[in-house]
Amino acid sequence: MSGYRLPAGGRIDRSRAIAFTFDRRGYRGFEGDSLASALVASGVTLFGRSFKYHRPRGLLAAGVEEPNALVTVTRGTGRTTPNLRAPSVPLHGGLVAESQNRYPSLGFDLGAINDRLGAFFPAGFYNKTFMWPRSAWEKLYEPAIRRMAGLGESPTTRDADHYAATYAHCETLVVGGGPAGIDAALTAAEAGGRVILIDEGEEVGGGALADPGQWAWLADALARLAAMPNVRILSRTTAFGFYHQNFIGAVERLTDHLAPTDANGARERLWRIRAGEVVLAQGAIERPLVFDGNDIPGVMLAGAARTLALRYGVAVGRRVVVMAVHDSGWRDALALAEAGVVIAAIVDLRETVDAALLAAAKAAGIACHLGHAVTGVAGRKAVSGATIAPGGTGAAQRIACDALLMAGGWTPSVHLWSQARGPLRWDDSWGAYLPDKSIERVRCVGACSGDWDFGGGVAVAALPSAKPAHQQKAFVDYQNDVKSRDIELAVREGYRSIEHIKRYTTNGMATDQGKTSNLNGLRIASEALARPVTEVGLTTFRPPYTPQTFGALIGHHKDALFQPLRKTAIDDWAATNGAVFENVAQWRRARYFPQGGEDMHAAVARECRAVRDGVGMFDASTLGKIEVVGPDAAEFLNRMYTNPWKSLQPGRCRYGLLLREDGFITDDGVAGRMAEDRFHVTTTTGGAARVLAMMEDYLQTEWSDLDVWLTSTTEHWGVIAVQGPRARDVIAPLVEGIDLSPDAFPHMAVREGRICGAPTRLFRVSFTGELGFEINVPADDARMVWQAVHAAGQRFGITPYGTETMHVLRAEKGFIIVGQDTDGTVTPGDAGMDWAVGKKKPDFVGKRSMMRPDIVASGRKQLVGLLTEDPDEVLEEGAQIVADPNQPVPMTMLGHVTSSYWSATLGRSIALALVRDGRARTGETLHVPMPGKTIRAVVGPTVFYDAEGSRLND
Amino acid sequence: MIEITPLAVSAADLVVGTAPVSGHDVRLSLAPAAARYSLRARDPATLAGVIGRALPTRIGDMQGGIACLGPDEYYALLPAGERVPDGAGLPVSVVDVSDRALGFVVEGTGAAAAIATGCPLDLDRFAVGRATRTLFETVEIILLREDTTRFRIEVWRSFAPWLWHALVAAIADR
Amino acid sequence: MLLIHCPYCDEDRAEVEFVYGGEAHIARPLDPSALDDTQWESYLYLRRNPRGRHHERWRHTYGCGRFFNAVRDTVSDVIETTYKAGEARR
Repeated sequence: MSGYRLPAGGRIDRSRAIAFTFDRRGYRGFEGDSLASALVASGVTLFGRSFKYHRPRGLLAAGVEEPNALVTVTRGTGRTTPNLRAPSVPLHGGLVAESQNRYPSLGFDLGAINDRLGAFFPAGFYNKTFMWPRSAWEKLYEPAIRRMAGLGESPTTRDADHYAATYAHCETLVVGGGPAGIDAALTAAEAGGRVILIDEGEEVGGGALADPGQWAWLADALARLAAMPNVRILSRTTAFGFYHQNFIGAVERLTDHLAPTDANGARERLWRIRAGEVVLAQGAIERPLVFDGNDIPGVMLAGAARTLALRYGVAVGRRVVVMAVHDSGWRDALALAEAGVVIAAIVDLRETVDAALLAAAKAAGIACHLGHAVTGVAGRKAVSGATIAPGGTGAAQRIACDALLMAGGWTPSVHLWSQARGPLRWDDSWGAYLPDKSIERVRCVGACSGDWDFGGGVAVAALPSAKPAHQQKAFVDYQNDVKSRDIELAVREGYRSIEHIKRYTTNGMATDQGKTSNLNGLRIASEALARPVTEVGLTTFRPPYTPQTFGALIGHHKDALFQPLRKTAIDDWAATNGAVFENVAQWRRARYFPQGGEDMHAAVARECRAVRDGVGMFDASTLGKIEVVGPDAAEFLNRMYTNPWKSLQPGRCRYGLLLREDGFITDDGVAGRMAEDRFHVTTTTGGAARVLAMMEDYLQTEWSDLDVWLTSTTEHWGVIAVQGPRARDVIAPLVEGIDLSPDAFPHMAVREGRICGAPTRLFRVSFTGELGFEINVPADDARMVWQAVHAAGQRFGITPYGTETMHVLRAEKGFIIVGQDTDGTVTPGDAGMDWAVGKKKPDFVGKRSMMRPDIVASGRKQLVGLLTEDPDEVLEEGAQIVADPNQPVPMTMLGHVTSSYWSATLGRSIALALVRDGRARTGETLHVPMPGKTIRAVVGPTVFYDAEGSRLND
Repeated sequence: MIEITPLAVSAADLVVGTAPVSGHDVRLSLAPAAARYSLRARDPATLAGVIGRALPTRIGDMQGGIACLGPDEYYALLPAGERVPDGAGLPVSVVDVSDRALGFVVEGTGAAAAIATGCPLDLDRFAVGRATRTLFETVEIILLREDTTRFRIEVWRSFAPWLWHALVAAIADR
Repeated sequence: MLLIHCPYCDEDRAEVEFVYGGEAHIARPLDPSALDDTQWESYLYLRRNPRGRHHERWRHTYGCGRFFNAVRDTVSDVIETTYKAGEARR
């Protein structure tokens, strides 16, 4: 408990104290603090427990690379976010944060037993230990491991927030608001184009925020940018992914930095940005050093300590030791000393360092140990001292300290550059990969391009030590608890590629994606393999740069806006009249209209009887409709559909069957010829868009010489089906200009006229097997006409019915539903619909395929009717059918039930099924094995009712 | 267990608003009823002759209420009730789609930004007098720029409630 | 998300406006009945899957509605050129 607030300095507002809680204990910080800085200032060293070993962990970094200090922040019911990095959580009044992965408390964690058993959890332990017995994995090992190992817990209540999204376009997008990014934005903005500057921090400024000497410049530069109308600055925004052609995904955090009571509107906004040029100014991340005890709370990055002191006015300890292999550690130590932090010693592995730095350190009264390495750290929940030795192996001495800073050199943040497929080159002086030659319209500036003076250093894998690696607790990947010895073990076990080593050890696979561990892991692997780093490879950088919420990614597509729910013009009437709905594609359709507490069975039986005995009405507006117009309209349909179309007279309709080129049924529907050069084609509800696209494809790319055009009219027409023996009686008083008599207006005819004053295309068609009409009226008139038909039908007992009744009625007639009775492998012959195929037509889509060997072969599944021996037994759709119920498993499946209903009309169940050689099995009894019983059913024709079709022509 | 709390509004309850919705710099309203025609022809002159109106010549242009959407495709937005001859027998296609779509008007200095929440077009490069079919998120629309700060959106009627509320949400979150 | 140049609109438009249409320049035989099973199988099912330049169809579905052809590098995903349906292979 040794961090404290410095008496002066930092960008915090000391006049504005902020109260918050961490693990239910109250603390105070200042406006401008991060959660991390406020906790360190309050003396907190213990921030979390590690993933696997439950080791106590403190703060490592001051930015998004932080692997240890992960917290769960709760902002009210449904507003819990786990795994937030404490340095990136801005402080606000009432902030409630909790540590993670500990039970019962952070200070006393039972899971820490894993640390004592660490020898049992080497790299690959999942694969090795838990393979046998298999069943124990799901029941025993995995749940136990999941309880013991982990990060934050997923929230279990529904997300109470909503999220926004937008597209944006600019000539120049700058990612990173440090000095290099700001300079690039200013230059681009002065050239006149649209500029967007993205910065992930609470304040724009990057590294300049930890350098008071740059504050005046920073304020001036930001003011200049803000004054330019062509510049948009997005702070608190993370560019998480770089996609094709300079398309950048970014998430702007809109409310999380506010007290919950002040937070209104969307929580986050997804920015989808298309940029002419992308300038990456993402800076660099300091590397930790790998040595025994390098994860004990109080061991942290030197640059982070500098940021805490100079940006937040917080000292990380009262007596600080710096372990450096790089000049930046010396600079940080001097800056800290100047800010009033006591630096007990600087230890550097190098025998010589820059003379000016050495002199400055000595002048500041800092003990300097050149050619030394830290070989051990005293303390468990907080550092109490460091052991150092010459060359890591000489005579050890102990230095008392309460914070140990690591300066291992810097890794340029090439994440987005690499996602953009920018090439990298190894740079020995950085000990890291840098962007290589430029790629089109993307460039790197500042530290992430290698253009930054951090001074010199040496790059090392692990610090030298007399202690063998397998006895050290020297961590490479803090978040996934990967030690140097795990990587060495992976190499000993034969892994050669860094991609494999990564997956075996999980190095770099945690939520921080190895921001602090990848390079160290690579170096250790390189030494273990005795091959240069550049030959070991580099793991792939993938989006997201930092974890993002699912909410941000879905934007407005949540709750009621999840996806469009399409409703017809009559839907409202159905809702008011008690319809139970079902969703068909994106449409919602009335399924049945229960009366007086009826269940679906009773309602559907009543609706079916009404249509068979009297009259029913049905909202068929969702049917797809395509207006096919032009001199070649008939020729076009003739080529598309299996049926002949040229002979169809204007005013007449025909059922059309549409195949794919492979010969399988893809859609069907009735088309009416409105004029010599005009057809009104209908498709299935779900097939509307697909069929139109398929027709456009043939028309544009195969038959572009045809003068015919396709227009979707699905939504222009409302469609009211009036079906039943009294259908004509119902509509007759409402229709003007159409002779409804059977001779003048036979089955499968279409007429134009008016109904209730509205223009109509009146089809005499039937999907029920009864006398029927389908009234097409402009959608704006549909509700009015529906109500008028309903009123006119009262004296005939007209009954509104839904899709369930429609399905039963059509099944009684053996009419197929494409997609239910067919599945993409059913030909017209399989469906028993050879009658719909124009034998004399030279060609149509799918015709040639009907001669394919596998389609003319015997043994195909054919659509048949099935009648259960027990008439009250209704088969389950999808149930499998076998010939021999006593055959041992695996049984020979002959096919499956495609449609099955209770038929009130017939007083028994009916079913359609696809059965191998089905039609040849007519009269045969087949078996449907179900849990606990086997159902016997007899094969028969697909038409169960009025096989002669006499009722249609009344 | 995941506890799903009932939604305040279900998708089924969404309807197109009858009253305009205003934010501080953008206003959404329903356009008055209109006659809509989908016009197609290989030869624009034949089509122009049939309908007795001039046609825009470049894809994306608008002229006299008629937008050119594709090389052989035009979309006419005419006063409600206006009829267009159907050109029977000629190599043209004239289809009345008046009731297929609803029109929304999005206007104000924030109009472009509100539309950009879901539309991938670069609206700074979409000049006054331009029109195109495009998307708002997953929903097909026809977008017409009537003035610097006024757009019209044509959307198929069953998608209109979703689009209306998506735009309301966009306006609320500006 | 790719930015695709529509040769009809003559504009670069966002990929979400387009629908992919498979390999280009596979013409439907003028007389399918004249083809033997092997030839028909080839037309129906066999497609190239090159590493590198690939001629493919796209449709500007949520734009001008036209099918067109593109040459896309299947490794880099860069679209080298686009051209109207019916124009010669590039």
